[in-house]
Amino acid sequence: MKVSHAWLKKFVDVRLKPAELSERLNMLGLEVESFEDQAATFDKFVVGEVLQRDKHPNADRLSVCSVNTGKETRTIVCGAPNVAAGQKVAVALVGATIPHDQHDADGKPFVLGRAKIRGVESDGMICSAHELGLGEDKDGILVLDPKLRPGTPLAKALGSTDVVYEIGITPNRADCLSHIGVAREIAALTERKLTIPPVRVMESSTAASRAATVRIRDRENCPRYCARVIRNVRIAPSPKWMQDQLTAVGIRPINNVVDITNYVLMETGHPLHAFDYDRLAGHTIEVRGAKEGEVFVTLDGKQRPLSAGMLMICDAERPIAVAGVMGGANSEIADTTTSVLLESAYFNPSGIRRTSKMLGLSTEASYRFERGADIEMARYAADLAAQLMHELAEGEVLKGIIDVYPKKRRPVEVKARVQRINDVIGTALTRAQIVRLLQRLGLTVRPGRGNDLHVRIPSYRNDLLEEIDLIEEVARLYGYNRIETRTKAAIDFSAGIRTDRLEDALKSHLVGTGFHEMLTLSLQQESLAQMSGTPGVKVLNPVSAEMTTLRPSLVPGAVEAVRFNQNHGSRDLRLFEIGRVFSPVKGKNPDTLEGFTEEERLLLLITGVSAPLGPGSGTRKADLLDLKGEVEALLGKFGLDKIRLIQYDTPESLTEPTVGVEINGTYAGFFGKVRKEIAATFDVGEPVFVCELKTDILGKNWNRERRFVGLPRFPSVTRDLAFTVDAAVLQGRVEEAIRGAGTSLLTALTLFDVYSGQQAGTGKKSLAYALEFRAADHTLTDAEADAVMQRIIEAVRRECGGTLRG
Amino acid sequence: MSDSTEQIRQEFLHDLDAARDLPQLEQVRITYLSRSGRIAVLFDGIRSASPADRPVLGKALNELRTFAQAHFDERKAALEAAAGSSEPAFDPTLPGRPRWVGSRHPVTQTLDEIKRIFVGMGFSVENGPEIESDYYNFGALNFPPDHPARDMQDTFFISKDILLRTHTSPVQIRVMEKQRPPIRAIMPGKAYRNEAVSARSLVQFHQVEGLYIDRHVTFSELKGTLVSFAHQFYGERLKYRFRPSFFPFTEPSAEMDISCYLCGGNGCRVCKYSGWLEILGAGMVHPHVLKNGGIDPEEYTGYAFGMGIERTALLRYGIDDIRMFYESDVRFLRQF
Ligand SMILES: [Zn+2]
Repeated sequence: MKVSHAWLKKFVDVRLKPAELSERLNMLGLEVESFEDQAATFDKFVVGEVLQRDKHPNADRLSVCSVNTGKETRTIVCGAPNVAAGQKVAVALVGATIPHDQHDADGKPFVLGRAKIRGVESDGMICSAHELGLGEDKDGILVLDPKLRPGTPLAKALGSTDVVYEIGITPNRADCLSHIGVAREIAALTERKLTIPPVRVMESSTAASRAATVRIRDRENCPRYCARVIRNVRIAPSPKWMQDQLTAVGIRPINNVVDITNYVLMETGHPLHAFDYDRLAGHTIEVRGAKEGEVFVTLDGKQRPLSAGMLMICDAERPIAVAGVMGGANSEIADTTTSVLLESAYFNPSGIRRTSKMLGLSTEASYRFERGADIEMARYAADLAAQLMHELAEGEVLKGIIDVYPKKRRPVEVKARVQRINDVIGTALTRAQIVRLLQRLGLTVRPGRGNDLHVRIPSYRNDLLEEIDLIEEVARLYGYNRIETRTKAAIDFSAGIRTDRLEDALKSHLVGTGFHEMLTLSLQQESLAQMSGTPGVKVLNPVSAEMTTLRPSLVPGAVEAVRFNQNHGSRDLRLFEIGRVFSPVKGKNPDTLEGFTEEERLLLLITGVSAPLGPGSGTRKADLLDLKGEVEALLGKFGLDKIRLIQYDTPESLTEPTVGVEINGTYAGFFGKVRKEIAATFDVGEPVFVCELKTDILGKNWNRERRFVGLPRFPSVTRDLAFTVDAAVLQGRVEEAIRGAGTSLLTALTLFDVYSGQQAGTGKKSLAYALEFRAADHTLTDAEADAVMQRIIEAVRRECGGTLRG
Repeated sequence: MSDSTEQIRQEFLHDLDAARDLPQLEQVRITYLSRSGRIAVLFDGIRSASPADRPVLGKALNELRTFAQAHFDERKAALEAAAGSSEPAFDPTLPGRPRWVGSRHPVTQTLDEIKRIFVGMGFSVENGPEIESDYYNFGALNFPPDHPARDMQDTFFISKDILLRTHTSPVQIRVMEKQRPPIRAIMPGKAYRNEAVSARSLVQFHQVEGLYIDRHVTFSELKGTLVSFAHQFYGERLKYRFRPSFFPFTEPSAEMDISCYLCGGNGCRVCKYSGWLEILGAGMVHPHVLKNGGIDPEEYTGYAFGMGIERTALLRYGIDDIRMFYESDVRFLRQF
């Protein structure tokens, strides 16, 4: 909200400089986002009088002017066609910051220097309205009031000496959405008096009650409705001072009557509405609910379908305004209006909010009503506006105010305990100190039993409902930064301190093995979500078609990341992500909302070369065995040894081949090569290998207990063996045969070569193993090793048809 | 015939590669390069070739022999070097053999650091669901229905009463429901806001929520905890201040600013020329929220705080576009 310094001064004696006031308001919870000091903007700008205009000796379009700027006469080169002797103009002196550079595309400000223009020195600049930031006119200079004296500071000449603050008001502080409201806070802050000038309305002798009738059908949503009738108004532009004040706070002047309602709104925070009295059927106001299906044209010209539950202001025949939101085109003030019915009502906040939401229409009025207006301000606001209509629009204010207020607001009193206030804040304030702080806010405090305080809440502070609200007020006004910063804390360790160690350990391991962690978006295109065959969870109000569905798998997002990287020249990738996936199916996790599954997964991805390019690195492309190696290393690291890998390929799987990972008999995820068709939808041609694992299964089976195993006491014997088997024989079968025959003497088996070239023979392959043998209780002899080797060779021949390779 | 030279070349390379010590290498020499080796046998075969083919064949075989000898010598030198028998001069300007080097995401690193500090202060780490009910996300946190405070957080809805959590604060209620005071926990996680995507805002982000409930917990202690955190995270010498603010679930509510560490408090573009950076929101847990969590607000008080991780990381690393966190660009990730 924009707040004018000059306007505030009407209500409180503000002595603080704008910067200091901003700072102090900030510390009170009224966030001053910025402020604009109009006088500072026009520093080094003065009124000048053009004494003489001569043609520039070297340029047809330019003129050389002598300008009286008060104390001296300056030579200024000017390019505007409309400059003429005798004019009063705005002169920027050397060193002034010109708000808009007309020659810059963005219109950036620039600092004026002394310049020679086509050989003539120019001691200043005559400005256009656009250059001054005062309008769009770029073609000619701004010609000022001829009565102005040369040398007058431009800010003063323009009447722009105000400071305008942009203040962010939190939703609880509806009372601060006005100049009186902000002034009240300043009064509390600086311990000065807030003065709201009383209004005396000059009324005629005709009674308003005979000119109009008000009936409230819905007292719940409209507890009070005040109306005044003003006749014989002359619709015209409002005076300059009012236009300036409205413009300063960001409101466009329209005509005197409308401007007055806006002016009173900005001053008091109370929204008003002016109806064209003569267009109200029966000169009657009726406040009632809308009829379902009715269509109403608001004064912005839009057709609005109404529904039951919306509150309408009606005349004897039809709706004339959406209560508290916007008036209707059928009764708006026009140039021909001569009589006004002025509404100053109070509407229930939640009703206004519902209506505003349903219509998708938010206005200055609805913004305030839905935050809570001041019901006791209705009458003052109506009187003030009526009196202004008398003064500025020559209106005849009919006698009396129609004030339908069937159930008067009951005074609100909140009890606060001195001890409790100190207990929550951590202070040792005395009762007297607290009372004083509350009084500064305009609250009346009455002593209660013991140390209790009974605090009377004024009608404008609808946010103060209970003790805790008063505690905040005490803390706020006392000053958060004066409250002790207590660094002693009592910690109770009885509950233990849980941390998420698995996730951390996984990340450490993967970063150590050369993977970059990535984060992808949980919300994705529906087509991506559908790739994994599981339904995703859809949001009702997506921000775009790219983000409609919660991901049921991390894989499609990861392939998308491959696409992004390939498009930016990075083809060799090792990436991982730990994040949640979602499905609209009831899950087992008790921390998940009923009817949904949320599950954390780990994703690994490899694509491109198998080793980073360097001397001797080769250019071998990574393959599924590279990924499998990473998966095995990871599972091994976490002591997950009861692993079963099952190859399964279903048409729905994201990968082909797909290897399922079972840990201790529980499905924990899969790895494989991303299906060609899927990679192709991301324009990814290179093979991409991915693994997706459920971290909770890893966590449950994570063997964190490590027991030391004694190191072997006797040396080992190492032998290599290479077998040729049919190409179709799985390595695992050969390994199984070797292990079976090797008995407990075989302490390690390493496959170090697989070869299926010509030399192995057609339809054959060769497998080479390094075997380590050791006896637990003695040094193994060569003879013992030879014997077990023979058993192994025999077993592989018998079980796998393998022959020893010479 | 040339097929067979190519085949021998392949098999030779394979066997050469498989040779892991000098004796095995000697075996390879005997098989291929000795006088009765396979290449010599091929040379013998020239005689039986037609006179027209001989020159071509001879040339191919000579090339093969040269090729094989060169590779053999190279391999031998390497194995000898490994065995320490003869050491070629080390060229220190050669690049080392490159390794894959990984990294934690900058958001994770920032979160890790925040967690480390609070765990050090005795806070547990708790989690909650990202798909939440209106009750936990708003109602239990003292957001009345039809209240403008709800506009502070644009919400993605799954259904009328189910939504994507807009902050990590609902976990506060879940922790209170599970646990009796004293409660001392931080709750990191993702949250979602239905806002237009820009350099400053992306539909998802991470937050850390903190909660401490016990007897005699005061605003004064909240300040102490947060100042200690800020000193550990941002540095000992910063200045700080607390400003009143509004969150429905805390009262009194505050926002904490620290002196801008980019300009030293003199004002710059990042701090919008104020010299201050807002780093978190906090306050005393509202009595209604305690009640909703099943805790008697007369007996217990508590404080809560929350901060956005992406925003913190942007400032920490000098990143100017929040979207970069979610593009998975390795040129970006590699820098952290
Ligand atoms: Zn700064």
